[in-house]
Amino acid sequence: MDALIVFFKALRWQDFIDIALASYILFRFYVLFRGTYVFRVISGLALLWIFQRITAYLGLIVTSWALQGITAVAAFIIIVVFRNELRSVLQAKNIKNILWGVSQKTSQAPVDVIVSGIFELMERRIGALLVFPGSDDIDEVVENGIDWEGKITQEMILSIFWHDNPVHDGAAIIEGDEVRKVGVILPLSHRTDLPSHFGTRHRAAVGMAEKSDAMVVVVSEERKSILAVKGAELIKVASPDQLSQLLQRNIGVATDPEAPASRRSMRLATAGALSVLLVSGLWFSFTTGKDTLIELQVPVRYNNRPSGVEIVGASVNSVNLQLSGSGTLIQSLRPSQVQVQLDLKSAAVGANEFTITSSNISLPPGIVLKTVQPRQVTVTLDRLVRKQLPVQVDWTGKLPEDRILESVRVMPEAVEIEGGNRIIEDTETVYTQKVPLDGLTKSGTLSVGLALQPASLQVAPGSPEKVTVEYIIEKRP
Amino acid sequence: MKIPIWSIGAVMWLIAASTGAQPPSDNESLALVHAVMCEAIEDGKPVNETVVFSFEKEKAVCFTYFNPVPKKTHIYHRWYRRDRLNATAKLQVNPPQWSTFSRIQLREGDKGPWRVEVVDADGNRLKILRFSITE
Repeated sequence: MDALIVFFKALRWQDFIDIALASYILFRFYVLFRGTYVFRVISGLALLWIFQRITAYLGLIVTSWALQGITAVAAFIIIVVFRNELRSVLQAKNIKNILWGVSQKTSQAPVDVIVSGIFELMERRIGALLVFPGSDDIDEVVENGIDWEGKITQEMILSIFWHDNPVHDGAAIIEGDEVRKVGVILPLSHRTDLPSHFGTRHRAAVGMAEKSDAMVVVVSEERKSILAVKGAELIKVASPDQLSQLLQRNIGVATDPEAPASRRSMRLATAGALSVLLVSGLWFSFTTGKDTLIELQVPVRYNNRPSGVEIVGASVNSVNLQLSGSGTLIQSLRPSQVQVQLDLKSAAVGANEFTITSSNISLPPGIVLKTVQPRQVTVTLDRLVRKQLPVQVDWTGKLPEDRILESVRVMPEAVEIEGGNRIIEDTETVYTQKVPLDGLTKSGTLSVGLALQPASLQVAPGSPEKVTVEYIIEKRP
Repeated sequence: MKIPIWSIGAVMWLIAASTGAQPPSDNESLALVHAVMCEAIEDGKPVNETVVFSFEKEKAVCFTYFNPVPKKTHIYHRWYRRDRLNATAKLQVNPPQWSTFSRIQLREGDKGPWRVEVVDADGNRLKILRFSITE
C-alpha cells in the first residue's frame, strides 16, 4: 500500500498530460478509421503485438522472433496496401474533423424509399448518381449543383433522373430524409485499374468516394446494374436488402430504430474509456516496470563562458551517472538524451568549484538519477590574451651524411597567438609541425603548419595558420 | 639554473692579440658582432655552421664574437629546450674584442627544438640562436 502511495506521489503533471494526449490520439484514430479495413487490420496487428510480448515473456524464442518480424514489417504493409484508404481518410477530412469532429446523424433517412427508388431507376434503365455524405463536408469537393431541399419520395428520385429533366446528368446529394442538391458535378477518379466499361458516371462515383467518406450509388442504364462505392471499395449491388444494409451502415442508421443516437454515444464513450485504459496500461508498463540500473559516462558541457576568458583546466571532462528506470526506457535510452551542463555565467578568472546537482543533468522522462561521480568539479578560467611569438622549425629525422643544414629562414618570423593569460605568459616560442629531414639533399622552401601546445592556444584571427620555411643545404666540406 | 658541468666556456684571446686593435673608448658599449651554432671550433673559428645537430655528432657549440668590449665583463649563453631552461654558461669577455663559446653534450633524449639566448651581464638579450637536435 505504501509503495502505491509513493508511486502516485511520484507522478508528475506531465505524466497525466502524456496519458491524456495519447489516449485522445488513440480515440481519434478509432473515430476516423472505424468501420474500415484499415482499422480491422491494425486492430489485428495490435493483438499480434500483444501476443508477441506474451510469447517473449514466456521465453518462446522462435515464436516471439517470428511475430516480432511480422509486426515490424506490418507497418510498411499497411501503408502500401491501404494507401488509398489512408489517403481518402486523411485527404477528405478537414483539420477540424480530424481533431474533433464526430459523425452526427440527426435525421433518419428513409432507406426503404431510397432503395425502392434506386431499383425502380434500374428497372426502367434510367442512369443515376446518388451521393450519401458521411461526416465530411463535401461542399469543398463537389462543383455546381442546384439547391433542391425536397423530402425524399420514390417519385422524386425517378423524376430527378428522368431523361427530360435538365438536371438528370449530374449527381443528387441525399442527406437525412431530403434531397439537398441536384445536378452536382463530382470529381473524376484517375485510377487506372477500373473496369473498361466504366464511363464518366462510374469514374465520378469512384472519384467522389476517394475524396470523401461519402457513399455513392451508381445506376447503370446500359448494364442495368447498381454499384455502390465507398472509399476504395466497389460493391456490385445484387438485391434491395444488400443496398439497404449498405446505406444503413453508411448513414449510421441502426437496425434497431430505438435510440440509435444514445447507442452511438455509448459506443464512443466505451471507445474513449478503452483508449484511456489501454494507454494507461502501456504507460505504466513502459515507465514502472522492474527497475533497471545503468551507468553512463557523460561528458560535461560548460555553458555561458564569460566573454574574454578561456577554460584552461577542468578537474574532469566527464562524469559517471548511475541512472534507473524501467527496462524498456533504459534500453531505448540514447547517450545524446543525457546531458550534464555547468553554467559558467558567474565563474571568475582562476579556480571555480562546482557541485553537480540534478538541475545540471537533463534526462528523458521516466529516467531517474541515482548517483553522480565525481560530484565536485573544478574549472579554471583564465583571461584571454594575445601575444606575438617567434616561430621555430621542429626538424626531425636525419640529413644524408654528406649534407649540412646551414641556415633556415621562417616567413613570417612571428605569429600572433591567442590563449589563456597564464599559459601564454610562459610560452616563448611557437613550433611548427615536425619537418622531416630525410631525403632532403638541396636547398628549398616548404609550407608548414603550426603545432600549438597546449591545445587551448590558438592562432589569433588574421595571423597565418602556416609558415614558409626557406632552408639552405650545403655539401659538407 | 646553471649547469656548468657540461657547458664549457673558452676564452679566444688569440683573436684579440692578432688583430692589434686599439683599446675602445669609455663611451662605447659591448657589441655582439657574430653569433652562430656550429659543430666545432678550430683555430678560434666556428666550423660547420648549422641549425640541425644529429645527436650522433655528440656536441653542439654556440660561438659568439664581441667587438668592441669596453671593459672586462661577462656574458651568458642560456640553453633552452622547448622554452625550458636547460643550462647556463657564464663566460668572461675581455677588452678590446673577444670571442667565446659554450657547448653541450648531445644525448638521444635531447632531440627536439632548442635555442640559445646570448645575454649580457645586465640581462639584456643580445641574440637568439635556434636549432634542432635530431636523430
